[in-house]
Amino acid sequence: MTSSSRARFLGIPAPALTAAGVAASMSLPWLADAYTVSLASYGLVAALVAVSAHLLTTTVAMPTLGQAAYFGVGAYTAAVLGQGVSSGLVQLIAAATAGAGAAAVIGSALVRTRGMVFLVLTIAVGEVARVAAEQAVPLTGGGNGLAAVPVSLPGGAELVHDGHVYLYILTCTLAITGGLHVLLRSRTGITWRAIADHEARMQANGFSVHTRLWTAYVTAGALAGAAGALLIAARRFVSPTDVAFSTSALALLAAIIGARSVTATVFAALLIVGVRDVAGAALPGTSPLLLGLVFVAAALARGGRGRRLAARVLRRPDYPPRSHPEGRQL
Amino acid sequence: MWNGVGDLIVAIDGVAYGLLLYTVAAGLSLCLGVAGVMQLSHGTAYLAGAYAAWALMHGTWVGLLTALAAAIVGGAAAGTGLALLLEAVPRHLDQALATIGVALVGAYVLTEVWGAEPLSVDPPAGLGGSVDIAGRPYPVYRMVFIVIGAGLAAGLWLVVHRTRAGAVMRAVAADPAMVAALGIPPRRMRAAVVAVATAAAAAAGVLGAPVVGPSPGIDHTVLLLSLVIVVAGGAGSTRGALVAAMVVGQIQTTAVAGWPTAAPYLPYAVLALALLGRFGINRRRSA
Repeated sequence: MTSSSRARFLGIPAPALTAAGVAASMSLPWLADAYTVSLASYGLVAALVAVSAHLLTTTVAMPTLGQAAYFGVGAYTAAVLGQGVSSGLVQLIAAATAGAGAAAVIGSALVRTRGMVFLVLTIAVGEVARVAAEQAVPLTGGGNGLAAVPVSLPGGAELVHDGHVYLYILTCTLAITGGLHVLLRSRTGITWRAIADHEARMQANGFSVHTRLWTAYVTAGALAGAAGALLIAARRFVSPTDVAFSTSALALLAAIIGARSVTATVFAALLIVGVRDVAGAALPGTSPLLLGLVFVAAALARGGRGRRLAARVLRRPDYPPRSHPEGRQL
Repeated sequence: MWNGVGDLIVAIDGVAYGLLLYTVAAGLSLCLGVAGVMQLSHGTAYLAGAYAAWALMHGTWVGLLTALAAAIVGGAAAGTGLALLLEAVPRHLDQALATIGVALVGAYVLTEVWGAEPLSVDPPAGLGGSVDIAGRPYPVYRMVFIVIGAGLAAGLWLVVHRTRAGAVMRAVAADPAMVAALGIPPRRMRAAVVAVATAAAAAAGVLGAPVVGPSPGIDHTVLLLSLVIVVAGGAGSTRGALVAAMVVGQIQTTAVAGWPTAAPYLPYAVLALALLGRFGINRRRSA
């Protein structure tokens, strides 16, 4: 590990890279066709779900396969609310609150479990959410899904154009991930990581481990809920397919590939969605196959040589790796 | 509310369904609890077995035995391959990723070969009819399946608790380092457990095909129910898996008959209650 406090990627300081990345992504609507722009919009939505999985999987070391549930809660909240209120910001806040609320209830039980039991319970939560979305026909439209109206900006302008929608989603995603970046470096974030590393010691030091983990779970629920509102802005449609296991699995995959960096998680999600949709469109029907191969390749790469390579390319992760063997690992 | 013969038939159905779930979940329980590998592609083995039954059985006994042999050999081979893959990714989280990938690829291949339509499989000749239970017809095959399933459950219990291989298996679960020190490679043990479990799931697919037929998505359903059963019964405990499978089977069939909207949620309610009970006990013990 380098002694420099600046994160670097291929030798370039991270702030410069971030600035260049933001500028490049802001200019996408002028550079790419409408299909690519709408694909990028969806990629950002998936990236935000992945970031919520990152918070649980990496920060507090509790891997999850159920973030699609809170994504769904947020999306349906925004879509139903959109029938009366078109303000994107109101929908975003309402969806995040609904996601956090659902996570608060479910999380109070789930944070008492660890490892495999926690993982299986999150799968169960995701499945229950999907079935509920299919069955609550009056509210969710069942298998037919629920269409929504275009969201509007605070000034009242409706977001109809793909480029405008993309810029709105990009701005929201940047604001939310920026907020998380700050949160992860605050006392709260440090405590979360400390619990992941030394749960028993933190407990002995007087920290209420369950409450802290619950807070992390609720925050992750809020992030996934917010992503749900952005899905409505991007696609103006939500169906039980969006709440399916594959959404959670994709988020976990991106979170794992992204390792300890929120930025890398975002890029991993964009890359996975890109591979799935672009290559899947080139060879129709093969996207599950490609996605499956990406999963296997990612696991293999992390298992051995690929991991050392990644460590060399990413000179320094966003925060130091765990050095203590007693840290929780699934 | 007891409503006589109808409830009896639902209860028998529940036993058949529970035993079917058990034959799949027992293997997964051994994978998770004994071999210590995270396996999320277990449902794919069931689906492949069910497709093998559709392709080979054609309602004949020879077909059934051929399909069963193909499923066991193919399942064991696939399981060995899977075990090799899992050796390359030692951590549970990476194993979860790898097996999700295997499940996606498997589902894609099966759908490419047999199409996206649900298929129905006829039981072998002579078992296609129905018997009278207190004046109501009941499919013979399900009765036979109960016998086979009970036999499988008893056989598995004998292997795990009364044979040397079973003793080694339990020893690996308790203390892998000690077993390795005794000269038994844990790696080979893990591979054997995954191979046997996958073969068992594929065989369950063949035998279960006339009850729960092959169709895309069944792999996911079977995996979810198996995971519920494994976690509710305690990973590595075949006895716990049997109890959990019977409870889930019974509740599922009862709910489908009487309260269909609640049916998809009930296995998870069982899981929640089982965990609540277990953690409650733990808390009392540690206090």
